[in-house]
Amino acid sequence: MIYLDNAATTAPAPQALERAVREYREYYFNPSARYGGGFAVQKMIGEARKQLLSAVADPTAFELIFTSCGTEADNQAVFSVARRWNAVTSAGEHAAVERSFTELKNRGVEPRFAPLEADGRVNIDALLDLVDEKTTLVSVVHVNNETGAINDIAEIARRVKRKNPRTVFHSDGVQAYGKLPFRLPREVDLYSISAHKIGGLKGVGGLVKRKGLVLAPFINGGGQEGGLRSGTENVLGILDFAYAAAERFPRIAENYERIGALRKRMWERLRAEEYFYRISAENGSAYILTVSVPGARGEVLQRMLFDRGVCVGTGSACSSKNRFSRVIAACGYGEDVLDGVLRISFSPENTEEEILQAADAIVAVVKEFKGKV
Amino acid sequence: MEKVVIIRYAEIHLKGKNRGYFEHVFSMNLEKSLKGIRHELHRTSGRWLVAKFPEELAEEVAARVGRVFGVHSYSVGYLVDNDLDSVYACVKEVAPAEGSFKVVTHRGYKKYPLNSMEISAAIGGRLLSDFPALRVDIHAPEHTVYIDIRDGGSALVFGSFGEGAGGMPVGTSGKGLLMISGGIDSPVAGYMMAKRGLTVELLHFHSYPYTNEGAKEKVVELAKTLSQYTQVRLLRTVSVTHIQEEIHAKCKPELNVTLLRRFMFRIAERIAGRLEAGCLVTGESLGQVASQTLEGMTSSNAVVTLPVLRPLVGFDKDEIILRAKKIGTYDTSVLPYEDCCTVFLPEFPATRPKLSAVEAEEGKLDVEALVEESLATVERIEF
Repeated sequence: MIYLDNAATTAPAPQALERAVREYREYYFNPSARYGGGFAVQKMIGEARKQLLSAVADPTAFELIFTSCGTEADNQAVFSVARRWNAVTSAGEHAAVERSFTELKNRGVEPRFAPLEADGRVNIDALLDLVDEKTTLVSVVHVNNETGAINDIAEIARRVKRKNPRTVFHSDGVQAYGKLPFRLPREVDLYSISAHKIGGLKGVGGLVKRKGLVLAPFINGGGQEGGLRSGTENVLGILDFAYAAAERFPRIAENYERIGALRKRMWERLRAEEYFYRISAENGSAYILTVSVPGARGEVLQRMLFDRGVCVGTGSACSSKNRFSRVIAACGYGEDVLDGVLRISFSPENTEEEILQAADAIVAVVKEFKGKV
Repeated sequence: MEKVVIIRYAEIHLKGKNRGYFEHVFSMNLEKSLKGIRHELHRTSGRWLVAKFPEELAEEVAARVGRVFGVHSYSVGYLVDNDLDSVYACVKEVAPAEGSFKVVTHRGYKKYPLNSMEISAAIGGRLLSDFPALRVDIHAPEHTVYIDIRDGGSALVFGSFGEGAGGMPVGTSGKGLLMISGGIDSPVAGYMMAKRGLTVELLHFHSYPYTNEGAKEKVVELAKTLSQYTQVRLLRTVSVTHIQEEIHAKCKPELNVTLLRRFMFRIAERIAGRLEAGCLVTGESLGQVASQTLEGMTSSNAVVTLPVLRPLVGFDKDEIILRAKKIGTYDTSVLPYEDCCTVFLPEFPATRPKLSAVEAEEGKLDVEALVEESLATVERIEF
């Protein structure tokens, strides 16, 4: 199996998982327990927290709240901040942010959506036009999960703050964390991350928060995570997240460069055929190559590829409902392109040989499809 | 005092010389429905009795037999000795402590010293003196206690009737092959024919990779729900992928669906032949979609000789949905997995295809080879 759907989820990092399980077997105590075992687990979580946070931000200026997933982190950011007036986001957000913004309407907050450029980046000027003195929150995805487009969130956050210093800036960093060499600037107040996109387990994520920013509690209960997100900690998931991240971060720049080369090889092979239209921009994340085979059906190609041992993602479905990707449609493409979207997403484990094999398989199924339909 | 489930049957009593056969099939079906639960099934005068099952499974037993076609009604009750003291001891357990009630006695055993009115009066009187908050109301009681005095020194006591599935025992009307999709209609069509005693075998057409595993899983779920009534625990699937591709490549798009349906009917008839099934069953309803017009049906019927039963032909969608909900297939049917990829959906399907035009279009295809190829893809899914 050649796995190229790493933006959806990744294979678990085996050593990290083994270590986490081994420790969890012994340290199963409730981290809130007031005896030795509980304190020990509390300390382990503390270390994991520090490590995961330091990897992306200055720990003296930021803190990390563990959540059950990236989606929860996004929900917490949106609903804890956007409690009145208006909130601004892009048309290129993951559903976790997009649906939360839609829900804001029911809670008396006006959601505003800024349009996209053709590669999936937000149109910054249009976004800033939507920001006013009553904007409580601006949320812009760091790496677009469907096209890989990178928003310059440092620059956007700076300009937002210049226009309204009281506006809180959030970014969904799920596709960037552990992949993109990047440090959080002070202008970014909140940043969502997720474990299973970098070899960790499903069921754990986090919200990086600027110290001093006051949030309303998102889940009420026993007061864990500084009272903002109660609930007994996912100890296994958190430990595993930290160990998986520890494998990724030291090589983050090296990985990025190598994967960039793999992406290039893949596109060179595909470009040699007339079928493919490239949606991902050159300067997008090295980890994602989104293409379209106009007139084909991404979902069908995806299944044909799976049967040949290649896993890729898609941005389109065979069904008449939700047929097209909302985000790629917002990039301005027509039905023909929208129908045939394939998202090829990489991991540091991919080899060049795999990439070339997968490229051949992709070309072969596209030819097969075009020959029939 | 033993917990039992009492079963009364529906139309079987209308049968004359065949009655023994109907009753035999009926009791076999009851046995099948109770597979996996220890029990004894007894035939008594005019009814069946399920006994000796683990008491905590009484509701499950009742629910299962309630879904067997031929069951008119059922009750969870008690089997006791028929002397008044024993009967009353049981009544006291099941009767309410307050509100209005009446006692209804049926005396099948005519040599019993008291007649039915006297038994009701005696039991009712004892209840009244033991429970002062009870009062009798013979016209509109809140609770009714039923007593059934039987031959052989026993009596049945029960408090209510559950409505059975009705209809005739499955298997007494022959065998048919249902063309089942993941939609709302076809499972209901299968249910209705099974209700009239037809053994309903299942055939599902898929076009993987244009449709996905979710669509197939959905049909398996529907088949499972349907099997609670039909006792058929097998689904056959067949691929029509290549047929769709050929039609798409060679024929007029507006006739896509019409042509595909003709292939489906042909394939279904061949498989029905192997199963010795005497008819095809579909969920078509006149005018519901483009292919379900009179002309559409004519074009499909033209390629088969078996009768095609369409029990929903005169039903509105609302009526079908109501039935699907009652049967328990609706929630599965509306899951978002589709049977057909948009690749093959014409923008303007022909609603009134002329048979001659359809046949001319079909002439561009090697029909026999495609049907044979498709038949080679039959898979059996047992559940």
